[in-house]
Amino acid sequence: MKKASSIFLISFALLCNMNGFTQEYYLYVAAESEDQVHLVHFDAETGKGKIAKTIDVGRYPTEIDGPHGISVSPDGEYWYVSIAHGNPYGMLAKYKTGTDELVATTDLGMFPATMEISEQTGLLYVVNFNLHGEMKPSTVSVVEPESMFRLTDIETGIMPHGSRISPSGKHQYHVSMMTDELIEVNTTSMEVSRRLKLSESESMGGMDHSSMDHSAMNHGDMKHKPVEKPTWADPHPTKPFVYVAGNGSDELIEINTETWEITRRFETGKAPYNLEVSPDGKLVVVSYKGEGSTGVWDIESGKELAKIANTRRVSHGVTISPDSKYAFISVEGIGGEPGSVDIINLETNTLVDHVETGKQAGGIYFWKQVN
Amino acid sequence: MDTLKKNGITTLLFMLSFLMLTGVTNAQEKSIVFEMDQLSLQIDEETEITAKVVDSDGNVLPDTVMFFSGNRRSLIVSQLGRVKAIKPGSYSIIAITLGENRVRKVLPVMVEFPPVTSVQFTTKPENVYAGTSFPLHFEVKDAAGAIRENVDVMVSSSDKDVISINQFNDLRASKKGTVTLTAKAEDITVEWKINVKENPTASVSLSYNYEDKAIRTGDVIRFEASALDRRDREVPDAPINYTFISSPDDNLGQGASAQMEQDGRFVANHPGKYTVMARSGNMVAETSFRVDKRNVQRPIEVVGKGIVPDVKTSDLWVWEGVDGRDYAVTGTWGARGEAFFWDVTDPTNIHTIDTVQVDARTVNDVKVSEDGTIAVITREGASDRKNGIIILDVTDPSNVEILSEYNEDLTGGVHNAFIYENHVYAVNNGRKYDIINIEDPRNPRTVSQFELDTPGHAIHDVWIQDGIAYSSNWGDGVIAVDIGSNTSADMPGAGGSPENPVPLGSYTYPSGWNHAAFPFKSKSTGDFYIAAGDEAFPYGLDRQGPNRAAGWVHFVKFDGWDNPKEVARYQVPEAGSHNYWIEDDIMYAAFYNGGLRIVDISGELMGDLYQQGREIGMFLPTDKDAAIPNAPFTWGPMPYKGLIYLSDWNSGIWAVRVGEDPTAGTN
Repeated sequence: MKKASSIFLISFALLCNMNGFTQEYYLYVAAESEDQVHLVHFDAETGKGKIAKTIDVGRYPTEIDGPHGISVSPDGEYWYVSIAHGNPYGMLAKYKTGTDELVATTDLGMFPATMEISEQTGLLYVVNFNLHGEMKPSTVSVVEPESMFRLTDIETGIMPHGSRISPSGKHQYHVSMMTDELIEVNTTSMEVSRRLKLSESESMGGMDHSSMDHSAMNHGDMKHKPVEKPTWADPHPTKPFVYVAGNGSDELIEINTETWEITRRFETGKAPYNLEVSPDGKLVVVSYKGEGSTGVWDIESGKELAKIANTRRVSHGVTISPDSKYAFISVEGIGGEPGSVDIINLETNTLVDHVETGKQAGGIYFWKQVN
Repeated sequence: MDTLKKNGITTLLFMLSFLMLTGVTNAQEKSIVFEMDQLSLQIDEETEITAKVVDSDGNVLPDTVMFFSGNRRSLIVSQLGRVKAIKPGSYSIIAITLGENRVRKVLPVMVEFPPVTSVQFTTKPENVYAGTSFPLHFEVKDAAGAIRENVDVMVSSSDKDVISINQFNDLRASKKGTVTLTAKAEDITVEWKINVKENPTASVSLSYNYEDKAIRTGDVIRFEASALDRRDREVPDAPINYTFISSPDDNLGQGASAQMEQDGRFVANHPGKYTVMARSGNMVAETSFRVDKRNVQRPIEVVGKGIVPDVKTSDLWVWEGVDGRDYAVTGTWGARGEAFFWDVTDPTNIHTIDTVQVDARTVNDVKVSEDGTIAVITREGASDRKNGIIILDVTDPSNVEILSEYNEDLTGGVHNAFIYENHVYAVNNGRKYDIINIEDPRNPRTVSQFELDTPGHAIHDVWIQDGIAYSSNWGDGVIAVDIGSNTSADMPGAGGSPENPVPLGSYTYPSGWNHAAFPFKSKSTGDFYIAAGDEAFPYGLDRQGPNRAAGWVHFVKFDGWDNPKEVARYQVPEAGSHNYWIEDDIMYAAFYNGGLRIVDISGELMGDLYQQGREIGMFLPTDKDAAIPNAPFTWGPMPYKGLIYLSDWNSGIWAVRVGEDPTAGTN
């Protein structure tokens, strides 16, 4: 969301804030083991959040279909959820915001996960995580959101995850979890433009792979033992950096997209999973899946400003309000525990409230901020 | 911040917002214009398409247009507009521009079927007799060599007084003579010159296998008719048509009362008087008989229940423990990852004796080994997304011990499993079943896998009998695989083993709803069937309230692995099938909102078994304290020691008994 009409939203939000308007925030969160998506409402004046609406999703009612990734169109008119399981393929479902009625679906690959729409192309880029399949290269599916036609599949790394679009809309970034790579997709040509090894020992710096033909490479036979096991990538809203969660190495990794090299590595809490850079570009908020907490990092200083315990044990996704004031963290829970959305005030770095959700709260995405 | 400065910034920001909005809404109107309104192609034909972007005045703009196929498997489209037709049908090409003020347009594409190249009569008897009629059949092929079912074939007769053809392409020979039939498919024609002969048939004989026997609804009667000449010699190639007249006992708007096949099989759905007629030319034979109510209904009595009040119940298994007592295990759905163990020795006092909790949201399936010592439960929705199976020691069901957790290549979730001869067959990832050796249950090891290779294949369940695994595969139907068939097997094996599963046969049906399979050999006829069950929820599913489902049980008769034929169905109106069990020619079927149905499936099976009054009994499990109160949603049954145990999604575990009814007949 933070890239969606960001200038307008920031200016509008700033405007509202200056005039002392009450801020209300709305976001969608998927409960992966409940086959539900919740619309969460947070009232900044009261500091209270609640479930505003619950929408049943999925295809086979008596099986756990697993809504995993979620996204909202840049104009805020539609939301999209990836359904991980199918027979056997997962799917993408499109819903109208507000009414939350199902508009259309389209089949994707195996275990489709995170996604985002490029404002440059208007197309949606969703990674097929293939969590439970063979260790072989998977794809990024490109979907035309209006018709919901799946236009093409871009071959990428093994277990791709964390699909996020650059502010210009010209590049999609994701990581290849089992090959320790950051991968850049040219959203216009719909091809992988660059790959960057994230392992300290294997990093190839600014090597440009855009001209390399990877199609003949059998990545499935590569004897690479992943170290970083990256799970998320998010570009900075104004600067040429991408931030990556090193889930296996407990790192936050900063990559300069101009030089295409790693510029900084930060030791984090256990198993950082998702992250998001605040729309004002000052903070990066990281979920620590391995310890049930959230880290708030100051990008300039490279310091962790706070580590906030989450209300459940398995921290998952992060989304930040356009005014950069609040971070919303989805937390999965274990077994029969409900999931939750933890609401963190980024000015005080404190947990202000949490909202109980269906089981295994995962994909989370900001929708709108109103007064 | 002073007020003036604040107001100034406010105004500036408002203007900025306004300018951005108006900049969008006042953007130059533009659109994509294709060079044609629609595109028509032949199969394998390639072409280039172009499009331009114009403004509202028709001026061409410099935007680049990219093209995509809306149907990639049938129509290949490059981003630059190179198009190749793969399959016939109606498709679309999407053209889009990138950047600001994007526009899109869809171009309809029709890929024509290849032209027809041949048409042949496939019904072509050597002798056609005056006064007879029969349907004509054809084989139409196109230029791609495909047999076409979607081409209209028009047939004309050179002399309609001799042979006439109706709108259904039924041939009727009226009198002696020579005639030429011409069949036309598209521009291709074929002729058949027929010499219609005088009909030697002087009479028709008619017999049936139930003469002097009581006939009940659902009994399949085989009629045999022969055309005879004046010397009572059979005219073997004279066509015979069967039909019937019914006078059902209930004639107040009664529905279809019987079914007659043209091979002479007849089955009545309702009691009454019936007259079957066999006709050859102008000769007719008929016989009348009475069909009585099947009269198999019996009362169902509740013996006991174990209500699960807070979570939904999934599968169950009942077994005799090593201590001689009787036990049951049930799974749970969308909950806390629990399996409940019950003492059912006294079925009037079903009570839990242990609970196993694992990292899962759903324990969908539960199975116990034949010797009653080992159980396997399946996991879905694990918090670390690493699902699999849990192997349990149930020697003492009051103190169940977890022997091992196994998730090797099963992490996508195990939905169903079966234990057979020290192996677990675990349906996983929605795509395959792994065969796992559990001779050492603390150290299970995968010995092989079975997975189809059809595009987009999926799997739901597996059931094993006599060394043959019957998997249910949604759109791919039922697949029989030899995993070590033994001499008790009802059908021949192919030398398979757990390490080397060998496919034997399959049956697919159009709905793609195949969810379960149960093989059985009819005790009364010796015929081998697979009962293939559906699961479908066309009305959705409310997890907090009552529901209804759809689908039925398909009875597929196998005369050899290569010769399956769907011959009957059991369908409960306004309800849907789930799991079922067949024993001694009785089917115990869970029909979700339709509860438990106990069905007499003795004798030859044909047609609509529900309409035939074969239902022995039904039971709707409901309880006010259930997770979903006062609403049945029955998951699965299991007959055991004279009772029928069943699990109900809404309420838990039940034991019922089929009561006696002195007025009931026997099946």
